[in-house]
Amino acid sequence: MDWKPEQPRKQADLSTKPYDQWVTLQGYCQAEFHRTKDGYLIRFPGQADFLIESAATPGEYIILGWPTPECDPATVINLRHNAIEPVLGNHLGGLFLHGSAVSVTSNIAGNSAIAFLGHSRGGKTTLAGSFAKAGHPFLTEDVIDLVRDGADYRLKPKRSKLRLFADSARHLLGQDTQFENEDAKQDVEAGNALPFAAEPVPLRQIYLLGEDHSAPLSIRQLSMQEALQNLMKHAFLLDVEDKPRLQAHFARLADLSQDIACFALDFTRQYEELPRVMTAILDNGRDR
Amino acid sequence: MQLSDRFTVSNDVVAREVGGEMVLLDLESGQYFGLDKVGGRVWELLSERPQDLAELCDQIETEFDAPREVIEADILKLAAHLLDQALICTAQLKSEAG
Repeated sequence: MDWKPEQPRKQADLSTKPYDQWVTLQGYCQAEFHRTKDGYLIRFPGQADFLIESAATPGEYIILGWPTPECDPATVINLRHNAIEPVLGNHLGGLFLHGSAVSVTSNIAGNSAIAFLGHSRGGKTTLAGSFAKAGHPFLTEDVIDLVRDGADYRLKPKRSKLRLFADSARHLLGQDTQFENEDAKQDVEAGNALPFAAEPVPLRQIYLLGEDHSAPLSIRQLSMQEALQNLMKHAFLLDVEDKPRLQAHFARLADLSQDIACFALDFTRQYEELPRVMTAILDNGRDR
Repeated sequence: MQLSDRFTVSNDVVAREVGGEMVLLDLESGQYFGLDKVGGRVWELLSERPQDLAELCDQIETEFDAPREVIEADILKLAAHLLDQALICTAQLKSEAG
């Protein structure tokens, strides 16, 4: 889709109070959700404002995005892909989750997807990148987009790039990897070193990454009820006050929790641990 | 709490049966609750229409093999818990509501 942000503008004070916020585990507000006359305004403080409004065609929406003068264009486009599209997709009956995914191949199951759900800076992208480096192409780095077909779910590939911090990029691509900004994530395109899976594959397992970054390696299958609760934490919701849509989305995730095996994954967030983590995940897939 | 007390489910709760257990999500608090088979059935019945606990006991008695006094005690206990967590609220009879 050919979408371009509007001209940069400062974030003026809003007359409305947000009806919802995305707050990180550290208490930082990532996004505020406001109502407008015909839709929603989503503010990413210091980064961009997005307006989602009903289009003339029923059931369709227009998305406009204004970066702040300080925000680089790539960030605004990433916000659109990784936040706005999934919240709107779920609002319209889709099934989007916050996570990364890779494609693995087995003699029995053929190609299938493994998804990693977790909070921001929880290691999802680095884990997907590590799998890719080991020859298991990545499908997405931040947004899981599922299409249901009975009890099967096809995971659609998203953009062929990983958003990485410099240290993760150097771990994956070599110490001589050049970075413009050492403190910010940057796009790293897929290539021979980090292959990308361009075709949808059936989802086989979901791993929910633990919040304790010093925990020892462990994998535990979640009950369906536990899985549902955890999946809801990683859902993108546009309107938490729209009860019918929430109920419908809850039902979609309940089905997913019953159809796809979900696991709690803990591991120490150290690069040298990643080979062991990948082996454990692949073995866990083979066992089932 | 008495068996004549009448209840309805809260509008702020979404529910879904998962793996034989009813999972409730309180949208206000973000808390989850699990109900066993009988609790899940009580939730379904209350979701269909407001009713008093005696009516619930009548229905549960027809569906589950347990003595009436045990059912009444369990439903009183369950309703008190659900009310305490604001998952259900008291409902008036239509004639009382005017």
